[in-house]
Amino acid sequence: MEISETVVRVDPSFLQEVNQRSGQLIQLCYHCHKCTAGCPVAFAMDYGPDRVLRMIQFGLKEQVLGSSAIWICASCETCGTRCPNEIDIARIMDALRQITVEEGLPTKERNVLLFHKLFLSIVKRLGRMHEASLMALYMPLSRNLFSYIPIGVKMIVKGKIPLLPHRIKGSDEVKKIFERSG
Amino acid sequence: MRYLYFPGCTLSTKAKGFAASGEASARALGIDLVELSQWNCCGATFPLATDNLLALVAPTRILLNAQKEGNHLVALCSICYHVLKRTNRLLREETDKREKLNLFIEEEYRGEVRVFHLLELLREEIGFEELSERVQKRLQGLRVAPYYGCLLLRPFQEIGLDDPEEPRILDDLLASLGCEVVEFSHKTECCGSYLAMNSSEVTRELSYAILHSALASGAQAVVTSCPLCHFNLDYRQGEMAAHYPGFTQIPVLYFTQLLGLALGIESETFGLADHHVDPRPLLASKGLK
Repeated sequence: MEISETVVRVDPSFLQEVNQRSGQLIQLCYHCHKCTAGCPVAFAMDYGPDRVLRMIQFGLKEQVLGSSAIWICASCETCGTRCPNEIDIARIMDALRQITVEEGLPTKERNVLLFHKLFLSIVKRLGRMHEASLMALYMPLSRNLFSYIPIGVKMIVKGKIPLLPHRIKGSDEVKKIFERSG
Repeated sequence: MRYLYFPGCTLSTKAKGFAASGEASARALGIDLVELSQWNCCGATFPLATDNLLALVAPTRILLNAQKEGNHLVALCSICYHVLKRTNRLLREETDKREKLNLFIEEEYRGEVRVFHLLELLREEIGFEELSERVQKRLQGLRVAPYYGCLLLRPFQEIGLDDPEEPRILDDLLASLGCEVVEFSHKTECCGSYLAMNSSEVTRELSYAILHSALASGAQAVVTSCPLCHFNLDYRQGEMAAHYPGFTQIPVLYFTQLLGLALGIESETFGLADHHVDPRPLLASKGLK
C-alpha cells in the first residue's frame, strides 16, 4: 500500500521531551479550555493553547512545532495563572520554541525568531539595547521595510530614539560571554 | 534612604521621562535612587524552558554587580523588574542552576539582593497614607485607569507583588494622589508585548481593547509602569484612529509622571511632550502642568 504524503506521524517520546524541558506535567491537562478562554492572543493562533497541549499528548510533534501558536504566545502568563491543574503553559510554549530552533525546523512566524536574534546581536555588540540599530536591521530583513517608518520617524523627532548607540563599560566582557556560549 | 537603582535600556532612551519623573519623585520622598555603576541589558525576557540557562547570565551579572554595591535593587520598568525578580528567586532557590551559573560567570552569587519595584517601595517604605499627606497638588478631578499588564503581576508565585487578578497597588497609589480611579475590565490583559514587531495587527487589536475598556469606564487617561505597554498603547493610537471608527484618543501616562506632578515637582524633564497623544491639554484643564 502506498502511504500518502499527508500521513500523520506520531512521536511517542514527544510528551516526555516537552515535560522535561518545560518542567511541567502535560498529562494533568483535562482540557477544560480555561487557558484558551482567557488567552488574549488565541484569536491570532492556528491552535489555541489547550489544543497545543492535546496535540503534545498525542505526540503530534511536527504539527505542534510547525504551528504559529508557539510563536504568537506573548508569555503573558494569564493561562498559567488560571489553570486549575497549575500547568505553566507559557513554559511549555518556550520549550517548544527552543526545540524548534535547536532542531533547525522551519518556523511558522519567521520574523519573531529574527527579532530575537537581532536583539541579541545588538546586546552582544553594545551590552545594551539600541532601538535605532535594531530597527535598521529588522525592517529590511523582515521584509517590512515601510510599515514602521511613520512611527519610527515620529519617535526620532520626539527624541525617543537616539540615533547613536551607547556602549557600556565592560562591553568586551559581555562579548566574551556570548563567545563562550557558542 | 539610599537604594541602588537599575534604569534599564529603555529608560535611558525611549522612556527618559519615566526615568526622570521617577528619580525626581523618589528624591522628593527621601528615597535616593543611586544608579548601578555598571550595568548591561537584562535580556528583556525571562527564559521559561528549564534548560535555557544562558539567558539568565545577563540578569545574573546585573544582580551580582548590585551585590557589590548594596543589598537592594530598584527597577521602574515592569520588564526589567520581572526578569530581575524571577532570576533572583531562581538563584536563591534552585541550587543546581545557581551552581552552573556561578561556574559560568566565575563568581559567587546566591540571590541575596532584594529586588524592588518603585511601586513596592512607595507602598512599603513610605505607605500610601503617608504619601497622601505629602502631596502638594492633589490631582483632583483627573479620572484615570490604572493599567497593570502582565509582567508586574504574573506569575504570582514568583513575582508576588499583588493579587494577579485583582491588583490594588497602582489603584491605591493613584487614589492617594487625589485621582479619581476608575474600575475597568482590561486592567490585567496583555497589550501584545513584543508581538508589536511581528504581528502589529495583533498588538493593535489587544491594545485597542484595553483603551476601549478604559474609555468605556469614563477614564480620561491610562496609567502604566511598562515602557513596552506604553509604546503599544500610546504610539499605536494613530493607527487605531484610522482603523476603528469612532475611536477617541486617550493620553497614556507613566505613574511617576502623575506622582511627580502631585508632589509639585517641575515637570520639564518628565517627557510629557514626547507622547504620541499629548497629555498636556488634559493636565492643563485640571490645573496641572
